[in-house]
Amino acid sequence: MRRILLLLIIATPLWADDKPVSFMRDVRPILAKNCFGCHGPDEKARKAKLRLDVEDSAKNVIVAGNVDASDLIKRLESEGDDRMPPPKVGPALPLEQIELVRRWVKEGAKWGRHWSFEKPTRPPLPDVKLANWPTNAIDRFILARLEQEGLKPAPEADKFTLARRVALDLTGLPPDPELVKRFLDDASPNAYEHLVDELLKSPAFGERWARMWLDLARYADTKGYEKDLGRTIWRYRDWVIEEFNRDLPYDQFTREQLAGDLIAGATLDQFLATAFHRNTMVNDEGGTDDEEFRVAAVKDRVDTTMQVWMGLSAGCAKCHSHKYDPIVQKEYYQLFAFFNQTEDADTADESPKLAMPTKAQQEQIAKLQAEWMRVRQELYTYSDEFKAAAVKWEEGARNRAGWSKVKPTAMTAASGSTMKLLDDGSVLVQSRRPARETYTVTIPAGTKPITAIRLEVLPDMSHPRGGVGRSENDGNFVLSRFAVKAKTKDGKASDIALASAMADFSQDKYPIDHALKNPDAKKHGWAVAPKQLEIHQAAFTLAEPFTPGEGTDLEIMLDHQFEFNYPGFSLGRFRLFLTGDDTPSLTGELPAELRGIFILPPAHRTAEQQAYVLAYYASLAAEKKPLRDKLAAITKAIDAVPSPQTPIMRDLPAAKQRVTKIHNRGNFLDQGELVAPGVPAAFNPMPASAPKNRLGLAEWIVHADNPLMARVAVNRFWGHLFGRGLVETQEDFGSQGQPPSHPELLDWLAVEFRAKGWSMKGLLKTMVMSATYRQSSKVTPELVKRDPMNRLLARAPRFRLEAELIRDEALAVSGLLSKKMFGPSVMPPQPDGLWKSAYSGEKWVNAVGEDRFRRGLYTYIKRTAPYPAMTTFDAPSRELCTIRRLNTNTPLQALVTLNDAAFVEMAQALAAKMQATGKTADEQIAHGLQRALVRPARPEEVVVLKELYEARLKHAADHPDEAKKLAATPELAALTAVANVILNLDEFLTRP
Amino acid sequence: MNLHHEYARYVTRRHFFRDCGVGLGAIALAELRARAETPVAHAPGSPLAPKKPHHPAKAKAVIYLHMAGSPSQLDLFDYKPELVKFNGKPCPKEYLEGKRFAFIRGVPNMLGTPFKFAKHGKSGAELSELWKHLPDVVDDIAIVKSCVTDQFNHAPAQLYLQTGTNLLGGASIGSWATYGLGSENQNLPGFVVLTSGGKSPDAGKSVWGSGFLPSVYQGVQCRSPGDPVLFLSDPPGLDREGRRQTLDALAKLNKMQADALGDPETVTRIAQYELAFRMQTEVPKVMDIAKEPKEVLELYGAVPGYVSPAEGATDPRTLYKGTDPTIANNCLLARRLVQAGVRFVQIYDWGWDHHGVSAGEDIPHTLPIKTQQVDRALTGLIKDLKRTGLLDSTLVIWGGEFGRTPMAQNSPSQPFVGRDHHPYAFTTLMAGGGIKGGQTYGTTDDIGYYVGEDKFDVRDLQATILHLLGLDPFKLTFEDRGLAQRLIGVEGKAKLHPKLLA
Repeated sequence: MRRILLLLIIATPLWADDKPVSFMRDVRPILAKNCFGCHGPDEKARKAKLRLDVEDSAKNVIVAGNVDASDLIKRLESEGDDRMPPPKVGPALPLEQIELVRRWVKEGAKWGRHWSFEKPTRPPLPDVKLANWPTNAIDRFILARLEQEGLKPAPEADKFTLARRVALDLTGLPPDPELVKRFLDDASPNAYEHLVDELLKSPAFGERWARMWLDLARYADTKGYEKDLGRTIWRYRDWVIEEFNRDLPYDQFTREQLAGDLIAGATLDQFLATAFHRNTMVNDEGGTDDEEFRVAAVKDRVDTTMQVWMGLSAGCAKCHSHKYDPIVQKEYYQLFAFFNQTEDADTADESPKLAMPTKAQQEQIAKLQAEWMRVRQELYTYSDEFKAAAVKWEEGARNRAGWSKVKPTAMTAASGSTMKLLDDGSVLVQSRRPARETYTVTIPAGTKPITAIRLEVLPDMSHPRGGVGRSENDGNFVLSRFAVKAKTKDGKASDIALASAMADFSQDKYPIDHALKNPDAKKHGWAVAPKQLEIHQAAFTLAEPFTPGEGTDLEIMLDHQFEFNYPGFSLGRFRLFLTGDDTPSLTGELPAELRGIFILPPAHRTAEQQAYVLAYYASLAAEKKPLRDKLAAITKAIDAVPSPQTPIMRDLPAAKQRVTKIHNRGNFLDQGELVAPGVPAAFNPMPASAPKNRLGLAEWIVHADNPLMARVAVNRFWGHLFGRGLVETQEDFGSQGQPPSHPELLDWLAVEFRAKGWSMKGLLKTMVMSATYRQSSKVTPELVKRDPMNRLLARAPRFRLEAELIRDEALAVSGLLSKKMFGPSVMPPQPDGLWKSAYSGEKWVNAVGEDRFRRGLYTYIKRTAPYPAMTTFDAPSRELCTIRRLNTNTPLQALVTLNDAAFVEMAQALAAKMQATGKTADEQIAHGLQRALVRPARPEEVVVLKELYEARLKHAADHPDEAKKLAATPELAALTAVANVILNLDEFLTRP
Repeated sequence: MNLHHEYARYVTRRHFFRDCGVGLGAIALAELRARAETPVAHAPGSPLAPKKPHHPAKAKAVIYLHMAGSPSQLDLFDYKPELVKFNGKPCPKEYLEGKRFAFIRGVPNMLGTPFKFAKHGKSGAELSELWKHLPDVVDDIAIVKSCVTDQFNHAPAQLYLQTGTNLLGGASIGSWATYGLGSENQNLPGFVVLTSGGKSPDAGKSVWGSGFLPSVYQGVQCRSPGDPVLFLSDPPGLDREGRRQTLDALAKLNKMQADALGDPETVTRIAQYELAFRMQTEVPKVMDIAKEPKEVLELYGAVPGYVSPAEGATDPRTLYKGTDPTIANNCLLARRLVQAGVRFVQIYDWGWDHHGVSAGEDIPHTLPIKTQQVDRALTGLIKDLKRTGLLDSTLVIWGGEFGRTPMAQNSPSQPFVGRDHHPYAFTTLMAGGGIKGGQTYGTTDDIGYYVGEDKFDVRDLQATILHLLGLDPFKLTFEDRGLAQRLIGVEGKAKLHPKLLA
């Protein structure tokens, strides 16, 4: 009996001693820890062909009911050389553990599966004595256990504490004073529920829980490794916020993130959800093997999926079969095979990506599109005058001559390049490729009036890149000037003014206009990349129609002055054309369809044909130009709406799918046996209807037969509300993890979660509505001693707020908090010089305006240099999935909240609020305390802070210049010191 | 000793009072203050409280100078006459087949060192002419020429060496050391990082991160200029007296809270604020190297208050000067920190990646400059530690994350000459703290391509450091992702080299 008592104190699970020993709960963890290393699932490490994790094999050393005949017990208790575990491997088992194994053998050595691998069933609600305490099922389980231990629950916390607690828990922000007031004034029995419902509706809810989820998703704003360059993936963060707010059922939340791209008719949002697994790192360091880091990312996806949804660490099965849990190496690579088919391949551009306009951007685009439609409608609405003009135009157009080709009579190149006239009338330039080049080409002007000159450029295989230009770099040209002179028979020359230019295509930033009017001939001109291999047209309209006299020539100057690393940006082959038409078009050719209509007399045309003629005229008539310009501007505006290119998951086409082989000892260069996608045999099989891809895997995870998924999820939410999970090792539900403190409660919650349609809001509401949650956190020394870890929940837990919440709370109470949601991550001020990445020019630029005061989850996360105030408070740098943060309590944390300029600024803002609200110092101090702590200030607290206030006031009077650095007036400086204290109170930093 | 469980217990509920046998509420504020002011160690139960080593330690502290980018062993330590003979000849095929290089493609030419070598000291160790001062202490150091690593790119190789894994997320050596041993001085961080060369190491702050270990064990970067430790200075307008007054008020209010709710965590918080207050005074004192006598400054070549133009430059490499005293200042600071009880000082100097592709990163010009910067500083550090009697208990390490190829990366017609990354053989220096100095350990082949005798894996280096600190590298573990994680990796390939140990 003494042994058993000892056990109860030492062992974490607090089982009553009248229950029979359970193999899975009590014995297996002992064997797993001490024996499975050599006698477990890992075939390579196995000794003496003995397995203690499998009943058949273990029965060789265990005789049910007979301790003395069981070799296992003998070897455990031996003090000789044959003791197990061998002295070289580890110490002897503690007596109380051997005692447990003895009892289990004596009781018949009944086997069983690990508790968490059995599907949960809804347990009956236990009977309790204190029947009026429970508000829901949760309390029945908690209370039954307390009564078993002879303990009583704590009284309900006061309303202020409740309001602050539930607001911080559900929204990550302190409650709005208005909300608190409504709660206090609400005398109905449902007052608390009303409060909870309001908080669940708040948009801040999604931000708070996204914060939690982003640790699991290892969300960050950079790619990791050496260069650690920025990545645009914040649209995924916003998706998480929105879905939490929308209360997307957890099974669908799961499906979309794992395989949204494979859902039939996937929406843009479902593609966006798959960015969950694009948060893996990418290595851009020069000389690294992309395949090595693609494989590392795929393994991370396997590990993260298993951790987040199954609560299992599969990682060790990369190299060898799992030593403790039933995942053999082959099964690891079967899981790997599901994820091994996506297109991404550790490339710097992070493809595949999709444009993911935000809701606001989508609306903006829709608005512009509507405007475009409206203008278009106007363009095609015709006045009588317009129709009359169209008839006139048609007459002219029918009779127009169009362009006529002219053969040059002389041509020279300033550099001395050879110029050859080809049969088709084009000029081919050859031989030298100088940096600069000027061509002068003479053509006969004829005698008809001229309104425009057309330049046609042609690609030619004799040029270095086979393009229209002679550049060795890319076959392009840059025409810096096009000019024309008229030369009469007697040799008199005069400039011909050009009014405008148009081209069928111009390179971005190299418009045709530059050939007429060039801001800097060394840098600008007309060019055509990336269409250097196509024929292009440019037409130059004369300012006045020119009627040449007999024997007059035109001298065309084509100038190239562009400077670049490579020479030869000059035209390679070109032709010239002239026209006398009033409204010259580029090709001069009317569409065949139009010419066909022109043949018909107007009376014989159909309405459609008539409309075509008018629409064609509208596309060139001068009076419609403003509308056409407007349409062009709107198109440009639509293109200019940023829609962030976001990395997504997308599978390779069937023909290009990869084969998956086992990586021997985890080395991707040493591959072994071929494997197909599949799930570990120890769990529910894949549903028959499920495809063998990620979507099928997701269906397997969310399937009702999966014993883990719901338990792992409810445990995580519980952990966030109660400081620790019912299974404390939230990351490990396997045999090495801790058993649940309240197994029936865990199962009840898991079954309920599924039965209620996977509503995360519903689950959280059930938890926060419980009397267990609403208890006071006050604790007696006896209770601390009795249950130091508060596993029994005879009081509410109290724990330090998370990094982001500390920032958010301080911003909120100081009145600085920006409520702006979504968008690119922001860079609130941090000390200079923290970003010195070796090969990245990216810089931290302190945000201005309200972006300085956004909630913590919007802060830019650079993996190799995360925001220091956050990491000091245990925020991870998001390199890998973090299942739970371990809270520390260090002096460096004190330095952040005392001295970080951001927190000093919050203290100053809070001081200003205090001053504005109270008349006397006492009132101001009391107000500050209540703003921060929600509850009214206590007189003795005000006394302490008043003392500080007066000391600082006196100091400010004595050192006015010094005090000015803190605040404008001595009073405000003293209040700032007080506010600095308030923002550092243990109570302020702690969830009550 | 199961540190993981101990830590979990700590995190769960710091057993501050139960361990002290004092009931809650019975402690007076004054007593708390007094406890915080005892300048020895952290409160019991604190994660940084000193812990007993696995076995008696040879080294109490470590100063690790990591030359990020990796210096050329062939131009500094490992003299190869054969390589000089074959200078400019194409590299034999057998050295290239089946090999992965970072940048070399095709068949490169061999590159003999342009520098002269001579033997020094009683041990007759061979050193390049670039070392002017190091010969003075050559009999105190072990020159390990047979180092090998698994990684051939900077970030993965730095991570592999410093955190035991080439991927991000591992725990750095310094954080393992403070996790295993705690810290001797509560007023200073247990693990301090100093940088020079104008850039962070290629793998960023992750090389001094705590990875899966609790964040309390991560390295604290001491910087200059600016706050030596982030957020150390009181805000403008609040002097020390004012800070004292605010902390007094804070402690009184927190004490009321502790009395009302009985949470031991509140009491711990009061103590941590007092520690922070002490740190604010102690850290700048230790950081102030101007307090050192002139002859000590001379010894290192240190110049108090110097701010290098390389710091914060977009490309600092072209700004390097041989006389830049930044790393000298850091070496002197490291000695002061160790003297004050800091467990692990990590110095990173960036700019040793001498490929020879452009100015500021080649062997004929940049390597002499970088060597000049570190030569007197490193020599001075060893002399100074010896002088102050600290060398016996301080392990000093100097080296890069891998070596450099015996082949030139570029064709000789280009103006710059350099070498590519080489994981198959490189040199690391070790001295003090349980190392048998005055020896050259391990050999390489005639051209310095492969290691010959006494192969010294990066894993062995990690194991040696922990071993000398009194920790068993095989038993120092932390449960993460279902594995008992170790610095030397779960597969445990590491071994100790008895000939290296004193």
